[in-house]
Amino acid sequence: MAAGQKETIAGQPKGIDWTGLHQRLAAARTRISRDLSADEVKGILRARARALARLPVAEAAQGALEVLEVLEFRLTYETYAIELCWVHETCPLTDLTPLPGTPAFVAGIINLRGRIVSVIDIRRFFDLPIKGLTDLNKVIVLQGEEMEFGILADEIIGTRSIPVANVQPTLPTLTGIREEYLQGITADRTVLLDGKRLLGDRGLIVNEEG
Amino acid sequence: MNWFLNRSTRAKIVFSFGLIFSLLVIITGIALYDIWTIKGSQRDVVYKDFRQTFDLMQIRSNLNRARAQILELMLTKDRAKQRALEQDIKALATENDRSIKELTKHYRDEPQNLAKLEELASTLLAYRKSRDEQIVLIYRDKVDEARQMGIGVQEERYNKIKDIALEIEKQEMEHARERVGQSERNANMTLVIFLVIGCGAFLFCVAMTRALTSGIAAPLRLFTEVAERVAAGDLEVTIPAINRTDEVGGLAQSFRRMVSKYIEMAGLTKRIAAGDLTVTVVPQSEKDVMGNALATMVVGLRGITGGIKEGVNVLASASNEIIASTAQVASSAAETASAVNETTATVEEVKQTTQLASQKAQQVSASAQKSLQVSKQGKKSVEDAILGMSRIREQMETIAESIVSLSEQGQAIGEIITTVNDLAEQSNLLAVNASIEAAKAGEHGKGFAVVALEVKSLAEQSKQATAQVRTILNDIQKATNAAVMATEQGSKAVEAGERQSGEAGEAIRVLADSVMESAHASTQISASSQQQSVGMDQVALAMENIKDASNLSVTGTRQVELSAQNLHELGQKLKQMVEQFKL
Repeated sequence: MAAGQKETIAGQPKGIDWTGLHQRLAAARTRISRDLSADEVKGILRARARALARLPVAEAAQGALEVLEVLEFRLTYETYAIELCWVHETCPLTDLTPLPGTPAFVAGIINLRGRIVSVIDIRRFFDLPIKGLTDLNKVIVLQGEEMEFGILADEIIGTRSIPVANVQPTLPTLTGIREEYLQGITADRTVLLDGKRLLGDRGLIVNEEG
Repeated sequence: MNWFLNRSTRAKIVFSFGLIFSLLVIITGIALYDIWTIKGSQRDVVYKDFRQTFDLMQIRSNLNRARAQILELMLTKDRAKQRALEQDIKALATENDRSIKELTKHYRDEPQNLAKLEELASTLLAYRKSRDEQIVLIYRDKVDEARQMGIGVQEERYNKIKDIALEIEKQEMEHARERVGQSERNANMTLVIFLVIGCGAFLFCVAMTRALTSGIAAPLRLFTEVAERVAAGDLEVTIPAINRTDEVGGLAQSFRRMVSKYIEMAGLTKRIAAGDLTVTVVPQSEKDVMGNALATMVVGLRGITGGIKEGVNVLASASNEIIASTAQVASSAAETASAVNETTATVEEVKQTTQLASQKAQQVSASAQKSLQVSKQGKKSVEDAILGMSRIREQMETIAESIVSLSEQGQAIGEIITTVNDLAEQSNLLAVNASIEAAKAGEHGKGFAVVALEVKSLAEQSKQATAQVRTILNDIQKATNAAVMATEQGSKAVEAGERQSGEAGEAIRVLADSVMESAHASTQISASSQQQSVGMDQVALAMENIKDASNLSVTGTRQVELSAQNLHELGQKLKQMVEQFKL
């Protein structure tokens, strides 16, 4: 707020424009107190909607290509995606209880509406370098035939339909993740994880006996 | 004459006056005698001659009066009056008797007159008797008879009495006249005697006067002349040889001795004057003032001359020294004069600078006063500033408080935003979940997918809005922090300002004090400049005086030099003069 501060022009102190200040304050007060009219509301919402608008249907109708419904999420400044068929739900990370005696990639367990779900940190699982501070407050609950666990994510970008043609096979040097877990990578560097493999990985099962 | 002259003056005078006195006594005696005689004669005349005459006249008058009264008695009828008249007549008669007795006593020695008187007495007696008869007649109212008697017999007797009386009177008058004549003759004679004696006395006086004059006054005048001449100094006087044995002679001798003494003294003095100091003066006695003085003078002169001779030598040398030192003094006086000139110029300069300093000091004093006023104002302004600053500080504190509350409210907003953000996040997740479910639902879920997308978009909008709000809140927070910091700095600045104002006030006070001091100092400077100026004036005056004195001393030195020269010459002259004297 630059209003109300004195400006010095070549050493001469300029006086405070009190009247202008009061006017602006009064205008702001009125703006805050009054309710937006319906038209204004509509206008604002429309503007916002236009900004966010996408035409996923149009995209799909363009080439009648095969699309993949994926859930995009961000983790450590990398954008990952996983097919929706493996995703059960997403939820915010609350009450993460770490388990002792578990491998490092096991972050802990959460209580999801009465169900106990284990949470995996795929960075440790994939031995990704942990760099930077992230939020890590989202959990994507993956569900397979037998397995169910959640993975930590910084941010859920959203569901997207990616044309299969855009998915390219990855080069091993691009990411640190082993290529068996990668399904591919998109043009905009979204790493597509193989959910099936992930869920079927025996390494994730933690047994006391094993 | 010589005998007279040889007597002493006293004797002369006594003799002269005695003679005159005796003449006077003689004359007085004669006068007294004559007076006594005349007195006696007068008394005789009065008491002897006139008395008788008077008595007789009295008798006659009484008789006349009696006669008149008889007549009156005859005329009047009043008894009382008659009696009174009778008494009167009787009184008159008694008086007449007495008178007759007196006359009788008187005329005892003169038988002639005595006879007459007796006749008169007898006649009177008869007359009286008849009168008595007359009276009786009158008392008996026989007036005519009385009158007849009066006219006849009484008249006769009366006339007789009258005649006798007149006779005696005439005689007495003759006596009186005789006596008076006698007296007159005596008086004339006395007058003649007086005249003679007077002339004699006059002549004697003249002679005496001449004698005394020639004997006393003339010599005295002579001696006075001589004394005058001697007093004037002329000792060639001749004293007349008066060998009298009186005072004049003594005076002449004394004068002669005195003059001779003076001549002697004069001679000695001449010798001394001529230069012969070898004379010895022998005073005649210790009362010889002049001799003693002369002797002392000679001795003194000898001493003085000796001293002068010595002194002249000293004088010569001293005058040389004086001349030398006066030359030095003259030169140093010239130096002094030049130095005085320089000093005077310097004094003028100093005076100028002093005046300047005084003016400046006065200016400083005036400006100090002004500064004091200004400093008072400044102090007041500083106090006002401090007051304003404290008010600013209060305002600052108010601002800080409101900013803090603002910040707290921002925090509350932030919490709300966090909540909203959470809600948005959860909505987002919900939307994602919804889209997942929709995807899982397949075809049937497409409508739901749209709804889910809408919800997601709403959630996104919420998130964006909250993000905006958070951004704005951050800005608010930053601004609030900045404001608080600014307020703090402002408060510190205000404190600093207060402190500085205090310091400024203090400094102003100190300034005011120092200004006051400087004002006082300048006043003192002004005063001392005044004094200095006055002192400089005095110094200048003194310099003038010194210059004048120096000039005077220069002239004086020249004069001294001249005087020294004169002294030198004088010394030489003295030497010459003194060599005249033989010691």
